Amino acid sequence: MKNDSKKSKKNSQVAVASEVGFEEVKTQGLSQSQIIRRKFFSHKPAVAGLIFMILFTIFVYSAAGIHLGSDDAKITIHGWWQFSHEDILDPGPCADGCPSSVHPMGQLPNGRDYFAQVTRGSEISLMVMVVIGLLGGVIGTVVGAVSGFFGGIIDAIMMRITDFIITVPSILIGAVIGYRMGNLGVLYLAIFLGLFSWTGLTRLVRGEFLSLREREFVDAARVAGASNTRIIFKHILPNSIGVIIVSTTLLLSSSILVETGLSFLGFGVQAPDVSLGVLINTHQGEFLYAPWLFWWPGVIIVLIALSINFIGDGLRDAFDPRQKKQIKRKEFLAKSSTRDAVNKS
Amino acid sequence: MLAYIGRRISIALLILFGSTYLTYQLAAYSGDPLAGIRESQDPKKEQIMAELTKFYQLDVPPPARYFLWLQKALGFATGTPDFGTSAIMRLPVIDQIAEAIPVTIRLVTAATILAIVLGITFGVLSAIRQYSRLDYSLTFLSFLLYSLPIFWVAVMLKEYMAIQFNLFLVDPKINLVANGITSALLAVVLAGFVSGTRRRVLITLVSSFAIFMSLFYVLSLTNWFRTPGLGIWGVAFLGLATSVGLTHVFAGLHNRKALYAGIASVAVGVAVYQPFGTIVNETGNFGILMLMGALMLSVSYFVGYFFSKIDKGPIIRSSMLSAFFVALFTVADRAMQAWPEYYRLSDGKPVQVDGSYNIAMKSNDFWVNNLDIVTHLILPTTALTLISFAGYLRYSRASVLEVLGMDYIRTARAKGVPEREVILRHALRNSMIPLTTLIAFDIAGIVGGAIITERVFSWKGMGSLANDAIVSQDLNLLMGTFSITAFLAVMATLAADLIYTALDPRIRIRK
Repeated sequence: MKNDSKKSKKNSQVAVASEVGFEEVKTQGLSQSQIIRRKFFSHKPAVAGLIFMILFTIFVYSAAGIHLGSDDAKITIHGWWQFSHEDILDPGPCADGCPSSVHPMGQLPNGRDYFAQVTRGSEISLMVMVVIGLLGGVIGTVVGAVSGFFGGIIDAIMMRITDFIITVPSILIGAVIGYRMGNLGVLYLAIFLGLFSWTGLTRLVRGEFLSLREREFVDAARVAGASNTRIIFKHILPNSIGVIIVSTTLLLSSSILVETGLSFLGFGVQAPDVSLGVLINTHQGEFLYAPWLFWWPGVIIVLIALSINFIGDGLRDAFDPRQKKQIKRKEFLAKSSTRDAVNKS
Repeated sequence: MLAYIGRRISIALLILFGSTYLTYQLAAYSGDPLAGIRESQDPKKEQIMAELTKFYQLDVPPPARYFLWLQKALGFATGTPDFGTSAIMRLPVIDQIAEAIPVTIRLVTAATILAIVLGITFGVLSAIRQYSRLDYSLTFLSFLLYSLPIFWVAVMLKEYMAIQFNLFLVDPKINLVANGITSALLAVVLAGFVSGTRRRVLITLVSSFAIFMSLFYVLSLTNWFRTPGLGIWGVAFLGLATSVGLTHVFAGLHNRKALYAGIASVAVGVAVYQPFGTIVNETGNFGILMLMGALMLSVSYFVGYFFSKIDKGPIIRSSMLSAFFVALFTVADRAMQAWPEYYRLSDGKPVQVDGSYNIAMKSNDFWVNNLDIVTHLILPTTALTLISFAGYLRYSRASVLEVLGMDYIRTARAKGVPEREVILRHALRNSMIPLTTLIAFDIAGIVGGAIITERVFSWKGMGSLANDAIVSQDLNLLMGTFSITAFLAVMATLAADLIYTALDPRIRIRK
């Protein structure tokens, strides 16, 4: 009881108790987005992941600066870190390149500053991840929505195309594009990977559209004379936004692993660009005598993927209307005992 | 039904045609296969280039050359499928693939089975104890494993599971501090599985800590890590413990008949321990092992069958599971006896880092050779299991949770079905249906190979073939490995759909 009244004070007013003897609680309405936001922010790991991702992105981009364009027309904004990832420097205070005050993450045998390498690598890995996630998310949503909504022959054709894309393993396509056309730059690699990574999302969105289009509110909209476009964008899409957002997050976390895996094999990001996977690949042999070269990029990959997975989990909980806030065992026992007490008296 | 399958297969063939065509074009246009020779200083450069062009029909543009390749691959020309000759090895592609497939299957089978069994077990546990400490820990663990890049894990495993462990084996003495830390960690993990009051958890924690401490102390004192073995009493004790544990999970200890049937099976297993040793010492091969395993399982089936007249299911299950594990312990015990010999032959590096077997291993002993294969498998299997375990855990947890919310579960509980039966008979069976799709895709993916894992541990399987093909612009080899992978993926989709309709009567095929 105590808990209940505490909660209700926050966002509702306790009305006068009626004659029957129990409180009548008048709750202020919450909009759907308010409920979702509130649920998401009560999911601690997800909030931690979100904060980490925001701070990490700002940190990395401000440290390494922003590099746009190809070699001919380069736009470069220098970051606050004194070295660039391409600078070849003299050996610092620590002869074997171990971390020191000048080079907080150590130095490569050829004199490059590892902090600059790691921040630049994270920048590229993050960029590839976002491009794959956005492209995959958009294509997946469009294909899934069209095939789920229209059904019939369109659905059959779309799903066969999806099957066709599934048989082309993205690691192989990425390898052919990244390794053979690596000179095109990282952005093209990311785009091509994105073009082949929407299949899983499509199936989920299609399933959602298939079940939603049979619902009464869609019939009602149609009877009222709404066009297909209106039904899709105003009625079905908002209802399936949860599935879309959640699977896009998961696509993001898997795409950073795909990019780093490809780069590790030597097929993804090509020199002189660096990515976290490239760094691990280059320095796996130095694990014994320069372990910091191996640990930093790996830990960063894990942290990024982990935070995004947690954000995805938080979003799933927030968007799922069936997911009720869990009742802790103790609270449950306390509640049932007060209920018993009330019943007995 | 037949018409449906026929239609699906013809669509699958169309898809295969499309995807092989696309890959062929991508691979053919992505680079110049003659680049290496073009830049060389060889005086006969022109001649070699002309020969290669003729041999690989490079003068035909790729969109048309694909059909020449297809015609040969389908075997129209010679009657047998011919994927051409690979450029790097100068060997028929089909021979290279035939060599690589068994290696890959050996690499991935154990990991897949382990991941499925462990993932489903822990997923179900996590679901039926939703929001418990165990559930939170498993959820965190699965997220962590989901986020791990396999190549990073592999490098760490090489260091800590192979190199450091081999160093430890040089003088396998565990000092008191290391023993304390290891035992404490194991005890905490074990106590995590115990539910109930704080007192119960604490008792488990302390007692298991004491047991682990003394166990490691004795193992260290007797030099067990260099001369391992279980002995007949070890097999009997472990068999009995597993049997009682499994009966507790699958039938409940109140089901006395199941308990006794399990114990009887263990007794049979212990009774044949000595004869088994004599037989395998004389002729050790897989045929004998399989035969004895089958014999043991059928005997235990009859043990379970004759133990009761009613409700034979749980009793037979209990006795067969017990028999399986006793047989497993017996074989493990026999393999351990070959360990000192293997250790001597492996030059003090028993856990191997690279390759699928040791070429330098000179032994005629069945057990020593298989220990060699197993020790090569340990690292890649661990890495692959860790990665795919998380997926199965998440899926089975979600699936069980969904089924547990169904009306028929409430009905079962309301009519008084015991909780164990509710979970085993009603929830588990229904929640496993969606997992068949996942398993079908995973099994198809097996042959495609784990490119990264094979690369890190230097295995020569399908993944490494695909890798070599891409690096050296070997079109025939690339197309060979790729078409087999794509074929299996398409077939897996079809199989998954058919199995799904067979298992779930609510889903009907549209006529």
